Amino acid sequence: MNCEVCQLKELEVEHFEIREVLRCILHTIVFHRALGLVRPKDVDLELFEITYVQCGDVELEKKIDEKIDHFISWVEKHPNKKSQICLSFYEVKSKQPSWFTNKTERLYWEQWYVNLNVTQHPKHHSSKSHHTKLIVDPGESATEERSCRRAMVEASLREVLFQIIKFVNEKKDHVPPISEGVIYFPYEITIPRKFQ
Amino acid sequence: MTSTHTNSHTEAAKMEQVITEFFYKSLLIILESRSSYVSSRNYSGEQTVSSPSSSSSSSSSVRPRDKWFNLALRECPSALENLDLCRRSNFEPVVVDVILEQKPLDWGPASFSPTSDLVRNLSSKNKNSYFWNSDQQDESGSEMKCEKIIERWFVQNESRKGRDCNSGNRRSSCNNLSALYKKLILMLRSLYVTVRLLPAYNIFRDLNSSGLICSFKLVPRVSSFVEPLTRKEEVDMQRFWFTPVDTSCGRLCLSVLYHSSISDMSSESSTPMSPQFIPDYVGSPLADPLRRFPSLPVSHGSPSSLPFSRRHSWSYDHYKASPPLVSFSPSPTHSESNALVSNPSSLGLPPMSLPPHPPETSLAHKRNTNFDEYCPSPNFSASPSPSPSPSLPIYIPWTHLSKALLRSESAPVNIAAPKLANTPALSGKQNLPPCPPLKITRAGTSRTDNIRVPAETDATIEKIFSFGKEDCWKYSGVKAFSNSSPRISCSRSSSRSLQDDFDYSEFPCPFDVEDGEMMDPGSRKSQDAAVGALVRLLKKAPPLRQNVSLNFSEASRPEILSNSIPKQSQILEAVTVEYAAAPNIASFRLVASKTTTDALEELRGYKVMKNLLLSEGGKAYTSNVASAAEHSSTSKDRSIL
Repeated sequence: MNCEVCQLKELEVEHFEIREVLRCILHTIVFHRALGLVRPKDVDLELFEITYVQCGDVELEKKIDEKIDHFISWVEKHPNKKSQICLSFYEVKSKQPSWFTNKTERLYWEQWYVNLNVTQHPKHHSSKSHHTKLIVDPGESATEERSCRRAMVEASLREVLFQIIKFVNEKKDHVPPISEGVIYFPYEITIPRKFQ
Repeated sequence: MTSTHTNSHTEAAKMEQVITEFFYKSLLIILESRSSYVSSRNYSGEQTVSSPSSSSSSSSSVRPRDKWFNLALRECPSALENLDLCRRSNFEPVVVDVILEQKPLDWGPASFSPTSDLVRNLSSKNKNSYFWNSDQQDESGSEMKCEKIIERWFVQNESRKGRDCNSGNRRSSCNNLSALYKKLILMLRSLYVTVRLLPAYNIFRDLNSSGLICSFKLVPRVSSFVEPLTRKEEVDMQRFWFTPVDTSCGRLCLSVLYHSSISDMSSESSTPMSPQFIPDYVGSPLADPLRRFPSLPVSHGSPSSLPFSRRHSWSYDHYKASPPLVSFSPSPTHSESNALVSNPSSLGLPPMSLPPHPPETSLAHKRNTNFDEYCPSPNFSASPSPSPSPSLPIYIPWTHLSKALLRSESAPVNIAAPKLANTPALSGKQNLPPCPPLKITRAGTSRTDNIRVPAETDATIEKIFSFGKEDCWKYSGVKAFSNSSPRISCSRSSSRSLQDDFDYSEFPCPFDVEDGEMMDPGSRKSQDAAVGALVRLLKKAPPLRQNVSLNFSEASRPEILSNSIPKQSQILEAVTVEYAAAPNIASFRLVASKTTTDALEELRGYKVMKNLLLSEGGKAYTSNVASAAEHSSTSKDRSIL
């Protein structure tokens, strides 16, 4: 089985936007890979005029938030750097049992790379808060510039979401069959080594 | 052979069912994000529960049809199921037009809640068009509305001609079916996400969440055949294709034509209705001028017994021992800030702050309006009478009052408010509940604790008091002088004696001399002392004109008040005045209603008296001196002689 890889378009975000952007992208991807019985949950972004969809699974939401926190910590340690977060889906295959090993292996069948370019120093950002809206220069031109920049980020995020939809629609054959009682495929969220 | 045929028939039936359910599910996903009454957005009550497939959730929460494509959505209206009528087979397409209807602002509320009745409109034998509609639209006429198709969804099963749908062995068809089912699940997931990313969803969301009275609404129209869009219409639209999914007999296609820039259209139309003043809101004196507010004080009671508390601009914090007699209740009923019109934000409407109180216009009833932003009408009420219930209230238009108060024929003299006290009759039982504090901000009004008593007898009522933030006053009654110009006397219910009414200790009398300073009547000092004594005597003298006060209290009628105040019928606020029958109270009222003019006149009188005394004393002195001189000269002469 081939591993399909999707490199999402790079997003230029500020530190306080990381959480919302990542939540939106990751949940959208997972929703497309949660082929079990779900009751979708609509979530409106606070920073942008975008509504994304979650599976409605509390555990999943918690895990994704933890990973996002971990990523934000990494970004705070490596400011003003391009960063990447990888969401991988895999199947668990048991290896040939031998006398010495009885391990299972993961067969990755899909990987999504979310590329972010964090532009601002994270010193004003609180890891728990996603409500901060920094206003550095309260002048009118700064406000216009900020709103223009916000619109650009929103448009870019929308593009990324459509990119996900197109990818999901174009490539369906590699998706494993649905298991009974399983809501979503096993996944993992990592920060690639070259970015660490 | 027979079993193969049966199996293939079974597989075909399953395939048919899967395709039918796909049509149904895709339409449900589109409609529930474009029609408020089908929406799953408010279906969040069960979303906090764990996933429907988990063991903790009850199976009853997931309906059988929810399990199709593993996507549990809100229950669809029965009308949606009637869509089967428009499709004779799975090969007939389904077109969903999402229409933005714009109407004038005088839509009634009912027009925003379209009924769920499905109206069938057969225009041609090839066209079966079902559309959601509301009765209001029919009644108002279609020519009134402006429609624009902002989205057009196509769901169709393209047949693959020349191929036997039932061919293939069992295993491959089974695999095909599971693969097909998986792919359809993925397609529907994409559809679910896509409908929320398109611009029309923002309009739908705003319509659902906000309480704005919008001049537009979204109306989805489902049909099996539609007129193609004009070139002009299509120029502004973009198309998005979902990758078709092959079936055994064809392929399922899903696409959408949408307007990418309808946000401008919706933002222009989503402005709330212009604020309008509602003159006859509930609680308005215009609606019921004689209505007594429950906050009218009674002879008994405590602040906590008031049915509702209103903040007033005057509190009696400084005079806690003597709760005031006059309470002012502003016309709007409550001071709590409710975002009635707001926002929505939100939904609601942004709280609209009233402009400063326009005396000439009626007040709009805004429950969320802070009292700081307008001047409410005071509710004059007083119960100095021993009767348990106040007498008939008298209403003085607040605007008239305020204007009248500002007019002065002579400069008023500030009389210290705490010094104006009640008669003994008002003590004890007559302690009225203090009025709750009310914050009123009037432009240019400085906070004072004084009561300005109207100066002139024939003048319109001058500004009786300037409202401070923490003062609350009650009026004990209305009194008219002989020239029929009414005055509103101010009093405080307290246990103070009448002597305290005019404690002029703060206003040093120029003639006031210590007792010990009464000396030689011939001396100048003694003259002053005499005058001072006279003044003190006058202070302690019993009041005059008791009978007259009684007559005045009877004569003081609302019409007198209204005569003295320029009639402005638009605004009439409640001013309750009570009349005291007791002579003591009347006499107190007489004393209390002494104007500064009277005081000045008295002072002048004293001055005259003083001059007279001085002149007489001077003459006497002169005569004494002269006589003394004469006497001395006589004695000298005598001595000389």
